[in-house]
Order: sequence, then C-alpha cells, then structure tokens
Amino acid sequence: MSTTASTSFIPTGLLGSSSKSHTSKDVFIPTGLFSTAPASTFGPDNAFKPNGLLGLGQHATSTASGSSFIPNGLLAATTGSQTSLDDLTAEFDLPSSQDMIASRATPSVPTFVGPPSTTLRATNFDGRTIFLRRKPVNTARRKLAAATQTRQVGTLLDVPFHRLLNEISEDKAKELSRETPQISHASLNSTEADDSLWVDRYRPKTFTDLMGNDRVAREAMEWLKQWDKCVFGKSSKGKKRKRDDEEENFDMNDPHQRPKQRILLISGPPGLGKTTLAHVIAKQAGYEVMEINASDARSGQIVDDRIRPTLETGYTVKSSKPVLVIIDEIDGATGAGDNSSNFIHKLVQLTHDKPRKKNRSSQPGDKRTILRPIICICNDINASSLAKLRPIACQLRFQKPADVHTVRRLREICAIEGLKAETRALSTLVAVAKGDLRGCLNTLQFIQSRDAEVTEAVVRRSTKGMKEADNSIISALNSLFIPLSKKRAKELGLNDEGESRYVGRISQEIDSCGKDSAIAIGCFSHYATLRRHDANFSRYEKANEWLMTFDALSTAMYNDGDFALSPYLTYSLVPFYPLFQERGAPKVERGQEDWENLQLTKSNEEIYKSLTRGLQVASTRQRGDFRHLGNWPILQLEFAPYINRIISPQLRPINGQHLRVDERPLMSRLVDIMTNLELRFVQERAEDGQLTYRLDPPVDVFITYDGKRASDIAISRYAVRHLVAQEVDARLTSRQEDVVDRGQSGKHANLFGGNKKGKTTAASVEEAADDSFKPSPGKRPRKDLSANIDIADRPPTDFFGRPIQPTAVGKKPQSSARGFNPLKSSSTPKFNVAYKFKEGNSAAVRKPVKVSMFL
Amino acid sequence: MSLWVDQYRPRLLEDLHYHHELSVRLRSLASSGDFPHMLFYGPSGAGKKTRITCTLKQLFGPGIDKLKIDQRVFLSPSKRKLEVNIVQSNFHIEITPSEAGNYDRVVIQELLKEIAQTQQVDLNAKQRFKVVIINEADSLSRDAQAALRRTMEKYMSNMRIILCANSTSRLIAPIKSRCLLMRVAAPSAKDMQAVMQYVSKRAGFDLPLDVASKIIDDSSGNLRKAILCLEALKMQSPDLSGALTIAKPDWETYCHKVADLIISEQSPARVMEVRQKFYELLSHCIPPTIILKTVADRVVERVDDAIKADVMHWAAVYEVRMRIGSKKIYHLEAWVVKVMSLYKHFFYGMDLTGFD
Repeated sequence: MSTTASTSFIPTGLLGSSSKSHTSKDVFIPTGLFSTAPASTFGPDNAFKPNGLLGLGQHATSTASGSSFIPNGLLAATTGSQTSLDDLTAEFDLPSSQDMIASRATPSVPTFVGPPSTTLRATNFDGRTIFLRRKPVNTARRKLAAATQTRQVGTLLDVPFHRLLNEISEDKAKELSRETPQISHASLNSTEADDSLWVDRYRPKTFTDLMGNDRVAREAMEWLKQWDKCVFGKSSKGKKRKRDDEEENFDMNDPHQRPKQRILLISGPPGLGKTTLAHVIAKQAGYEVMEINASDARSGQIVDDRIRPTLETGYTVKSSKPVLVIIDEIDGATGAGDNSSNFIHKLVQLTHDKPRKKNRSSQPGDKRTILRPIICICNDINASSLAKLRPIACQLRFQKPADVHTVRRLREICAIEGLKAETRALSTLVAVAKGDLRGCLNTLQFIQSRDAEVTEAVVRRSTKGMKEADNSIISALNSLFIPLSKKRAKELGLNDEGESRYVGRISQEIDSCGKDSAIAIGCFSHYATLRRHDANFSRYEKANEWLMTFDALSTAMYNDGDFALSPYLTYSLVPFYPLFQERGAPKVERGQEDWENLQLTKSNEEIYKSLTRGLQVASTRQRGDFRHLGNWPILQLEFAPYINRIISPQLRPINGQHLRVDERPLMSRLVDIMTNLELRFVQERAEDGQLTYRLDPPVDVFITYDGKRASDIAISRYAVRHLVAQEVDARLTSRQEDVVDRGQSGKHANLFGGNKKGKTTAASVEEAADDSFKPSPGKRPRKDLSANIDIADRPPTDFFGRPIQPTAVGKKPQSSARGFNPLKSSSTPKFNVAYKFKEGNSAAVRKPVKVSMFL
Repeated sequence: MSLWVDQYRPRLLEDLHYHHELSVRLRSLASSGDFPHMLFYGPSGAGKKTRITCTLKQLFGPGIDKLKIDQRVFLSPSKRKLEVNIVQSNFHIEITPSEAGNYDRVVIQELLKEIAQTQQVDLNAKQRFKVVIINEADSLSRDAQAALRRTMEKYMSNMRIILCANSTSRLIAPIKSRCLLMRVAAPSAKDMQAVMQYVSKRAGFDLPLDVASKIIDDSSGNLRKAILCLEALKMQSPDLSGALTIAKPDWETYCHKVADLIISEQSPARVMEVRQKFYELLSHCIPPTIILKTVADRVVERVDDAIKADVMHWAAVYEVRMRIGSKKIYHLEAWVVKVMSLYKHFFYGMDLTGFD
C-alpha cells in the first residue's frame, strides 16, 4: 500500500547516500511534529514563542492540513480514509486552548481583543500583527471558561497546568465517544479485508521508513555497504565521500576487500525494530536474507551445516542475489562455556578462517573463505555467551527513540486505521510500554478490535499487564518504604482514594518482581535504620512478626513443596508499608550484609569440613579415637575453641635443640596432635614482604570474633610458629619415609629395608603395634610383619648405611620424648629390647629366625 | 597420640567412673544373651557413647576395637550424591544419618536393610546379631524414623539398634516403645572431680582441687568439655600455677557480650548492633538455637525477677518458630526486639503504647 507513496523518496534515500536521506528526514520530522503535537505536549504558552506554533493554529484551521504529511508514506496510502483524516486533524486542532489563552489572558494582555469579536489579533515577535479566527466555542468549554473566569480575575492560570490538561483530555474523550459510531464503522469496513497484525502491516519496508535511531540505521547501512566491494565487485558510492573514516575499517591485507569486522552485532531492548532494520538494510543493499533465530536449533553444528555452506557459496538456492545471514536472538545461543563446539565459538572461528584458508586454497574440497556479511541481533549485549563475539564484531546499540517520534508514528497509523486516538493517550501508551513500538501497536490493534477509541482510560486498562512488567527488587523496596509521589500516582492513573489503597498495588509490585525472599531480606535490613522514632518497639515487633510469618510460609513452600501458599507470600511483606512508609525517606539501598554473611558462613563451613577430614584421618590412625569429636554441634561448640588453645602453648622462641627438659614433652605433644589432625603452619609472605606462618586449615577463625583473636590465647610469634612448623614437617617426613620404607621392606621382606625402625624405645614398639591394629587396606598387614622383624633384628648401628642420618638425628630427641611417659623411655637401656609379636590381619607364614641368619 | 578425651576414655564397663548402677545393668544385659534395642539419651558430654562402646566390648569382646572407617555414597531420589561416614567393625556399624541432611531416610533404608538382611557369618562371634549405632537420633527426620520402626521389628534376629540422642522428645513414640531407654545423666560435680583427678594422674601431673572445680563449674556437667578445657589449660600454662583463667569457648563469651548489649540499651541502633553480632555468630556456624539459648540464659541472669519468666517464654516461642522457619536471623532479631520492648516497659514502669 504505502510503497507507491514512498517511492518518491527512493531516488534520494537509497544507495547509501545517507546524508540525503537524513535531510529528507529532517524536513520530514518538523512537519510531523508541528502538525501532530497538540496542546498536550507543547503547552499553550508556547504559542507565543515561535511563529511555528502560531502557524500551527493556522494550519489547524485550514482543513487541508492533512496534505502536509502525505509524502511520508504511511499516511499517503489511505486516500480512502481521507475524510476521517480530516476529521482527525480537525479534532486535534487547538481551538480550545486558544480559547483559553484568550479568555484567561484578557485582563493582562491588552493586545487581545475581547471575546465577542470573531478574530483575535496577536503581535508576532517580528512586530507583525496576525489575526486569528476564532472558532465557535462548544458548550462544555464555555462553561469551563466561564467558571474559571469567574474564579480568577486578574491572575494567570491558577488552576494547575496538568489539571487543565487532564480536563482537556477528558473532554476530548467525551467528544470522541460521541462521534465515533459512523467513522469507526467506515474504517472497520476498510480494514476488514486485511486481518494481518498491525505490526506486520506497518513494518517499515524501506530504509526511509525506519523510525528513530537514525544514526544506528545509517551506521548499519554503512557497514553493509563496505561489503559491496567484496560482494558486488564495485566500490560503493558512499565510499568516495567518506574515505577517511571508512578506510580504517578496511582490512588492507584482505584479498577480498572485506571490512575488518565481519560481523555486525546489533543490540537493544525488544520492540524497537532491530530485526526490521537488519531485514530492511539487507533488502535495500540487494541481499537475500537467510535468517537463523531462536526457532532453529543453535548448536555449533548449525554453523557447520547451514551457515558455512551458505556463506561460502554466497547464494541461496532459489535466488540470484547474494546472501546475508541474520542471526537473530543470538544471546540465547550456546556459547558461555569454553566448549569448542558451541555456537559462538564456531561463529568466531568462521570469521578467523581466512589465513589458514589462503594457504590451502589450492587443495580441492577445502573450506573456502566466507565472503558474505553476517548480522547478529541480541537484546543483552553483556550476555556471557557473547563475550567472545564482542571484540571481533562491529557493535551497534539501539536506543529507545524519543517518545514524540513514536507517538507521531502511532498517530499516523491510528489515522490510517481510522482509530480515534488522543495524543495524550498515545503518549501514555508509549511511556508505559517504554518505547516498545511493537507492544504499542499490538495494544492499539487490540483496542481497535474492541471497537473502542483510544483514550487514556482505555490505554490504562489494556496495558495493565505491561505496566510493571519488569520490576527490580530495589523499586519494590522503595515502594514499600516510600509512599507514592504525586507524579507517579498520576502516571499510574490513581486518584487520592486509589493512592491510599496500597495493598493491591504493593503486593502486585512485589509479585511482579518475583524475588520475595530478596525483598524480605531487604525489608529486614532496612527497617531498623529508619529515622522514625519507635518508643516502645511496637512497630518493630509487628514487623518482625510479619517477617516470621513470611519465613514460615516460604519455608513451608520451598522445603515441603507446598506451593499453594505462594499467593499469600507477598501479602506478608505488604504490612511494611503502613508500618514504615515515610515521605521523603532516603532511597532504600540493598544491604549486602546478609549475602556477605552467607558467603562467610560457607567459607567457614569449608574450614570445618577440612577440620572434620583431619579428624577422620586421625581417627583412622588412632583406632577411632577422634571420631566422636567430629560430630556437628560438638565440633563447633567444644572442639574448635579448645583445639585452638591446645595447639597454642606458650613456647619460647628458641632453637628446637635448646628446649628445656620440661618443654620437650609439651613440644612433642603439640607436634603429635598437629600432625594427627593434619594441621600445619604454612609459610607465607605478607603484602609488606614480611614472612608469616599461617595455620592451615585456618581453624583460628573460630576463635576470631569481630576480627579479634580471643584474648586468653597468647599470640604465637613468628619464631615459635617457625619452630613448630619445622618440627611438624620433620614429623611428617618421617611418617612418609615410614610408609615408603615399609613399602620397600614389604617388597623385599628379607632385606633390611626399614633401618629407621631403630627407634628402640618402648614407645615406638607400641606405636608399631598400634599400626598393626589399624585396619589398613592393601598390603599393609604384610608390611607390618616385616617391620616387626626389622625391629627385632635391628642392629645398633646403621649397618646398611641408608642415608637417613639427618632425619634420625633430628628425630632422636623427639622420639625419646614421644611416649606419654618420657622418663621411662629415656631410662630404658638402649639394646635391652623385648619384643612380642602382635598379631595383625596377617596371613604371612611365621617362623622364628635368628639374627645370625641375616648376618 | 590422641587428645586426653580419647586417650583416657574408659574402654570397659568396669572402668567407668560414675553411674555404677547403670554399668551393672548394662553388663547383665550384655551377658544375658537377650539384648534389646536401646536408646541412650542424656545431655551432651555425659558419656553416652563411651557407655555404648563399653557395652559393645562386653558383648563382642576385643574384636570390637578393630575399626574400619570409610565413606559411603548414597544416591538421593533426585540423584544427588550423599556422602556418609561409616565406622564399623566386624560386629557393629556406627552411622550419623543427619550428615545426609534431609535425605537421612535414604541412608536409613538402604544401609539398615543391607545390614539386616545379611547374617553374621563369623562363627566365632559371641552374638548372632550385629549392632547398629545411630548417632544424633533426635535429629532424624520423621520419615527416617518411620523407616526405622518396621525394620526394628522385622530383623530383630540379625540386628540390634542402639540409638544415641540428647533428648527423647523429638523421637516418635513407636520408636521409643521399641527401645529400652537408658538415661545417662550428666555427672555430678563430685563424679567429675574424680574423673579429672584420674585424668591428671594418668597424664602425670597433680591437679589442684580448686582449678578442677573451676573447670567443672564452667562446663556445666559436660565432661568432654571439662577434659578438653583441662588439656587446653595444661597446654597453655604447664605448671598450673598463678592466676589461671579458665578458657570459655569464644562463642559463649561472645553470646554473653550480646546479652549485655541488649540489656544496656534499647534502641534501633542497638538492634542493628546486635544483628551484626548475630551474623558474626551464625557465620561461625554456631547453631542458632544454641545462640538463642545462651543469650537468653545470660539475659535472664541479669534482668529483674519480674520479667525473667517472660524473657524465657518468648525465647521458647521464638525457638519453635526458628525451627519451623529457615531464615534464622529473623527470629533471633524478633526475640531481641521483644526482649527490648519487655525490658523497656518494665524499666519505665508504665505503659508506653501511647507513645510513638
């Protein structure tokens, strides 16, 4: 329909001469603006300023005003509904506002002639005098005018401006409803044949039809034009003009003269026409579109199966035009992970293929270079899956066009469809839809289908669901703690009574946010910071009561799966409004406290877990001794605090060799416990370069509250920790060697593998015996047996000269002090050993052997 | 080397230091050949597990000491993996089903059936049955307890169950009726004194009586705590002379601080301060019920007689709600606000409802 009209623009607007199209648009916008924007957007006081608006008045009075926007394609199509158009423009002229200006301004502006005359005289800024014809005032208006006149003599507007506008629009609505029947019928008849969606019907078909985001559209077109050289083999017209900036994007080394960025990434909120833009520029530049969107599978395979072949051949099957791939809704594609087979990864690869391809271009059957443009479209530019795509793509961001533009377009469409639309209602619609043109059109069509005219009330009714579609936690919290501002109340179309009814409004807001528990936490962290005095805590008590109700409900819901309760959940938060709402209160800030606490709890739980693991290992080693300490409440309540004290005795920071006799047992016990529980001191370099020893796992957090260590525990100094750490390490190595030695001696049972068993004290024997009791997996029993034999036959010297001297030396003092009765062990004569064979889980053959047999 | 708590833990019924009449009874039960299911209950640190181990030794002989500790993985209905630690010997198995959280039923069902359906193969075993020890039986979920009750009857020939719990109130009646209830009361101060002296003698030092009684006072009948405390003390000041401070667990000190905060001032700012402290305690994984109880105890100590009962009453009320709910901090704070309000009303001696 509209193509015929818009062809007039094509010669100028097409083929990349973007400045031309822009100027044509520039011309096009002002006319639209002036002819469409009635008193609701530009106040009547504007009428005095430019002659444009005064011109508007004249415009409006002339019935031929409709012709001024015929060229813009959309309106031109409907010559059939010219009558309705005329009617509409007649509707939208501004007699009333002028009337009001006239009537109100009478006392103070002498240039105006009194009401009885049929023309008004006004002086222009140039000093010229203009005569304006007065329109007859309809009764309702006259009443109003009379009323206001009597009320205020000698003042300018004392009725608030917005209220005046309200009244006007209400009147307009009344008028509309009076006049509708015939016209809407006529328009219905005209549209009955065409039952396509308005969104499709008024989708821009050519580049010049595109609305808003001119710059983005032009840049997209420019990018596409850069492909001309590669695709069509000729340089674009625009290139000559814009040499400087375009050269930058060209890849000089590319044999195909493609732009550097081979993917265009368009992002923006839904309903602004991203997909349309892509299609329009593709068509305009002479491409055939292949679209891949969310309805197709978008795994990495698609890239190989469909995109690559198409791009390589460059043409689709049925068309002779070169192909252009549009990947719509790409943020839903796979690509977040590092998996090499995901969609984005493959796509990125596709664009990088060039160098490798060039080398092997001679090989038959090899993949060829892609020579066609790709346009990707997404809503969320920051989606994690797009991370790899972003750096290599040319990014364009769609913004919401200014509301006036959208309103204008909507009005044009309404005019064509013969829908009585009031501009104020339309701007409300656009504001509610947040510029989503698609949503607006759908709503309008819906309104039309119900045979109604577009008034503010109708718009409100039909956009109820759209209103608070996405709602953040913060905004929900703000509306809980801060009463509605007057402005917002008006936007929502609430009167005073509706404003005081908060339950429905707030519960809906919380509900639409969908994060009840986050809001509950927000309430919890905020309520006690409010300034309002609460002498007897009664409000606090109530608030907590409600929070507990909320908690009980949500627990029942999530833990027991009782989701029937979910409708009630939001209502348990609503009472915060009557309890705490306060005008002018500071905005709610979402506290991170709870979340931080959660993180801290988690990390502490991990530490407990590693402590539990240490306990388990210890209990395996010590025949189940530690196992009772690892149970959950005992661990935190008793074990954790006391173990910290047990492992921090007061030691003097001296060399381990110089410990006093009475300190030795203390030391050895400390080392014993620490090795058993797998606690260690780990050396670390602090930020200031100082060496420190850190406990690992850091169980000392359990005695640290508010960042302070318990006062009764001596601060263990670096030197002491150093000493302990050394001892612990020595013990651990000796234990490891133990295992290794035993492993060897297990293999060569008859050799003296385990020299180290030379710790010929009763204690060590006992320990060996203990070990045999250990339920040990694998070969352990046999090892124990051989170890025992080793000890039995152990000569006093290091006969086989195994290089264990240092550890043996380092260990001697410790091992002598190892038993819980050190006195006894040190007094034992060195070679006077009695052995008793303790039975393990051994199946080995036992026979008495003599030392001489081995010597 | 183990901690003293384990090192000097009695291994035989004869060695137990207190509750001798209970020991006698256990011995006669173990030797009678007709051993029932049992439920040991009593406060923490009273010696329940020690008594259970001793009883097992009496039942099965030294073979019970050969322990194997391993982990088993169970699959929850939603295919989540649950790891449960199992301590077992040839004659018994020890589990803590609460490790599996909400899925303890799965553990109970799978593990118990498996044990119950296999007979003792060791012909030398003293008894024909195996024993299953279930720790923390009072935190078993209702489902798990229900799963237990039929098994307890059906497989009586192969298996005996010993439950170990702090209180019987959270066990369902059918379970209680199937068990022989054994109450292990907390030791008296005299008993504890004897044990402390025994431990110090074994460890090779002399423990002054007053130090011991100080520790005993602080540990309120929890022998494990007392011995841990003793060991910590000994480690920190080996000669046990001079002015000794008996270490309290840090969380307890901190809870007392919170209680003092509540009493010293009642204001919204203070509410926030207390909330901070609660967060700190919770992040140290101190169970919220314990926090509430400790703080409430301390508050009750310090307030006037007139509102003592009220404070405790509300603590109880909020504890119940806390168990029902899942966001513990709400309930803790609710109690604090309640107490502050109570205290304020009492302090000003008048009705403040008119003010705001």
